[in-house]
Amino acid sequence: MRKRRLLLLSIFCISILSACSLRSDAADLYKQENPLQVEIAMPDSIAAQETFTMQAVLTEPTASIEEANFVHFEVWKHDHSIHLPMEEATFLGKGVYEMDFQLEEEGLYYLEVHAGNNGSIVSPRQQFIVGKLSEAELNTLKEGPVKEQESSEKHH
Amino acid sequence: MNTGKTNAVKSPRKSSGTNTYRTIWRWHLYAGVIFAPLLVLLAITGSIYLFKAEIEEVLYQDYYQVAPQDEKVPVSEQLEEVNRLYPDSVVTKYRPGENNTRSSEVTINTDSESLTVFINPYTGKSMGQLNNEDRIMDKIEEIHGELMAGTVGDRLVELAACWAIVLLVTGFLLWFPKKTKGLAGVLFPRLRKGKKIAMRDLHVVPAVWISGGLLFLILTGLPWSGFWGDNFQAITTNTGEGYPPSVWIGEAPVSDLETKDIAEVPWAAETLDVPVSKLQGLVPQSLDQIVKIADREGIYPSYSIFVPQEPDGVYTLSVFPPKAEDEATIHIDQYSGAVLADYRYDNYGIIGKVVAWGITLHKGSQFGLINQLASLAICLGIIFVVISGIYLWWKRKPKKGMGGPAAPALFKTKSFLLIMIVLGIVFPLVGISIAAVWLFDWMIVQRISSVKRWFNA
Repeated sequence: MRKRRLLLLSIFCISILSACSLRSDAADLYKQENPLQVEIAMPDSIAAQETFTMQAVLTEPTASIEEANFVHFEVWKHDHSIHLPMEEATFLGKGVYEMDFQLEEEGLYYLEVHAGNNGSIVSPRQQFIVGKLSEAELNTLKEGPVKEQESSEKHH
Repeated sequence: MNTGKTNAVKSPRKSSGTNTYRTIWRWHLYAGVIFAPLLVLLAITGSIYLFKAEIEEVLYQDYYQVAPQDEKVPVSEQLEEVNRLYPDSVVTKYRPGENNTRSSEVTINTDSESLTVFINPYTGKSMGQLNNEDRIMDKIEEIHGELMAGTVGDRLVELAACWAIVLLVTGFLLWFPKKTKGLAGVLFPRLRKGKKIAMRDLHVVPAVWISGGLLFLILTGLPWSGFWGDNFQAITTNTGEGYPPSVWIGEAPVSDLETKDIAEVPWAAETLDVPVSKLQGLVPQSLDQIVKIADREGIYPSYSIFVPQEPDGVYTLSVFPPKAEDEATIHIDQYSGAVLADYRYDNYGIIGKVVAWGITLHKGSQFGLINQLASLAICLGIIFVVISGIYLWWKRKPKKGMGGPAAPALFKTKSFLLIMIVLGIVFPLVGISIAAVWLFDWMIVQRISSVKRWFNA
């Protein structure tokens, strides 16, 4: 009798100590976002004074995108000595946008794609290099993320 | 507590009703004596913690208050100041001030400690730093939540909370008036009927008055606990009616990106020959951008931004303000700035909403001062009831032994056994500890006669 009680007790203890875990798909039961995804394509190497094309491919996790609400490209040199303000990119169809650029100076540059669709707004920032980096620029990179300067925001 | 056959001999022949009463009394007494110190500790630390915001406002006013000016400096400049002061630290959290007289806070990890640096957002200069280990209210919270003893402490607090429910139930059964003889000794203490009656009534009557509040504090505190709470949260989140994942338990989404698309940061040792292609790629969003996203999405101003520490981590905006309705948890893709998840109070399931309200009520913040005072009254009541209960036992108990009434075993009182089994299943730690008590009784108390005498078993 006592042995049976002991057995029952231990089964009880083991079963409650094996904790419940969270379902991996639990997030599907709650409010879902449809975040816009942007893939940026550009040439592997870019020379100064040479025309090149920047492309952004927009997708959404659930549905394919035809035309987004807006897609703007903005380019600046890391020290803001050169700044090409936000401009609407050319729509090629099926979520693909592109724009041609020609940059006069070698150095470290950023392209920011401002895009929005169905309430999801994104602004991925691509770091790219024209020609060669100066030593100063490389040192800037070594210091970690490039410092923010009020640049792009006033165009909003 | 005792299972032995000797009871039939020892306890006088009484009706089964009286026997059940004595068993309940015995459990109430032992549980009360064992958990009294913890309950008092929880009530005291809880009373203090209710006033956390007010206390910290005074303690840290030199760190908190700034004179408002026209323009704030960008977050990146504030971080530069922190970086200058602590060159090798890692920023883990940023908290913009909730109004124009409040400093911003940058939480950093250095090799050995976690610091909060307070920055005047108008000058970008540091106002000083606090070691997070030294913050007195955090210590109080740590005692209240886990007795400053990690998981073991957490389980002990949970055990005390669960056993407080057993005390409430057994206390209620002991108090429940068998015959209606008026409210004296039931809802009002009889102070002029002799010392013994006054002593009993000063434990029982206040206990009845605070029982609702105590039960409320226990039930709203349990979702915090490490064992019962985490399981409860997992079960409710899995049903779709709890908190969305990552608000309480569960992982945040990830910044979904292939490594090759991310720009590499060259190491200081590397020369100019770093392949250019590796330096090309996406760079993480800056905190300035994240603050702008927070402004755009609209979030209660006392929010914090948790900074991702891994390449696939996300920025998390998180705020648990005084009122449950203002809560928010927003996850932002580290590279694109896309909002990956945006959970507000309105997106909680029904149980999640109830728990969120329970927590703000428990903390005394939901209704401000009235809430704090009501909770304080319950805490003071708990302290009074515990002390009067212990006093009652001390005065009544014989010099040798615990003074627990001889009573039949739990297994022999069907209705009370049923209650304890239900409590043991709903609160598994109670179940486990009842099992432990039973084992202790069976293996030690019943076998060693002096121990047995002491426990009156």
